[in-house]
Amino acid sequence: MKQLVSAPMLFVGAGIFLIVGLLLAFLYAPIDASTMGYSQKIFFYHAPIAETALVAFGVAFVAAILYLRSQDPKWDRLGVVCVRLGLLFSALVMATGMIWGKAAWGTWWDWEPRLTTFLLVCFLYVAYFVLRSVVEEEERRATFAAVFAIIAFIDVPITFFATRFLPAGMHPTVITTSGTGMPGSMFVSFFISMIGMTLLLVALIRRDLGVEELKDRVADLKNSIGG
Amino acid sequence: MNGRRQFMAILRKDLIRELRTREMIISMILFVLLAMVIFHYAFSVKEDADLTYFTGGMLWVTFIFAMLLGLNRSFAQEKDERCLDGLLLCPVDRVTIFLAKTAGNLIFLLIIQVVAVPVFTLFFVSRSYVGDLPQFLVVLLLADLGICALGTLLATISMSTRSRDLLLPIIFLPLIVPVLIAATGATTLIFAEGAGFGDLLARVLFLLGFDAIFMVAAYGTYDFAIGE
Repeated sequence: MKQLVSAPMLFVGAGIFLIVGLLLAFLYAPIDASTMGYSQKIFFYHAPIAETALVAFGVAFVAAILYLRSQDPKWDRLGVVCVRLGLLFSALVMATGMIWGKAAWGTWWDWEPRLTTFLLVCFLYVAYFVLRSVVEEEERRATFAAVFAIIAFIDVPITFFATRFLPAGMHPTVITTSGTGMPGSMFVSFFISMIGMTLLLVALIRRDLGVEELKDRVADLKNSIGG
Repeated sequence: MNGRRQFMAILRKDLIRELRTREMIISMILFVLLAMVIFHYAFSVKEDADLTYFTGGMLWVTFIFAMLLGLNRSFAQEKDERCLDGLLLCPVDRVTIFLAKTAGNLIFLLIIQVVAVPVFTLFFVSRSYVGDLPQFLVVLLLADLGICALGTLLATISMSTRSRDLLLPIIFLPLIVPVLIAATGATTLIFAEGAGFGDLLARVLFLLGFDAIFMVAAYGTYDFAIGE
């Protein structure tokens, strides 16, 4: 398959954007005026990682629908790869979120809507892999996984909404319907980090898809020689 | 046969089977009563502690776990006796099967709630909420519907896998958390503060939305979940 941009180029691009974003975050964006100070800089990675995790799960959701419509194994491969990367990014969200929480609020964990939602997201998508591991037949595994990926992705915003019923938390609300609430220089740094992180996701998806395709081919070849 | 008659036939079959053996209902009711005793000991941290604020949470945790038991049973029989294969061979819309199964599970859940709610109230709730029963029943029914619809869909998937009853809680519990949050909150407000419909509006609408969304999602995916 001929690709528009080669995979290594995507990694290089992601790296450049992420480094520039980081430099801008420290040198160009203002230091947070409130009590957070320098610790607020983690926001320039924390939020883009969170956004990227959700994008990965969103792609898995679309891939699941496409799989159910076409039964084409390539959509199943895309689904697995996206959920795996989404989980990886979610784990990073939790880690960066906890570090930030410790610096800003003095506590590692707070039962706050966004943090709680991400925790549940992690459980949900770990369950996705548990589900895959207990179905042997390939087609059935892909179908069940697709159904679960659809249900899980629908559940994420609902869970987030439900956590609003819990007693209020401390998480800053940066992007609201009325604007971003960020000064321009902060927004530029944030935006560049976000592009970098998204590029990194695309690059990783591309690479992992290649690996999965190879795995499937190896399995097919093994079957064909009766192994 | 039209859809309604098929629905009734499947539902009747499930109810008759359960009435003949009664194994599911009896074990679910026993489980609920035992859970109450366990909660009593687990939360008796000091003398005369008022557990009214915790009763909503205890009830919904118990219902969800009892439902897990019931869901596993209801589909294990279908699978072991190969009833499901027979059902799938009939010219029945898969969605009708889903609706009938959901209705059956809902009835079982309601039966255990008829036993559980008065007993939990008697033991744990310190104020009378008879006047607030209408709003409690609305919350109960809406949350039940969500639990049963989602539970039925996921049980259908898990029963076709290698480790059925191990898998169900792992895929069901994280998905049902929103219902737990809303239902527990509403129940606690009713039990402890006598909240009216006005105070519960957001939670009731949320539960209604949850039910609607997952009924539609199950409608769209059940064909694939049941397989073949």
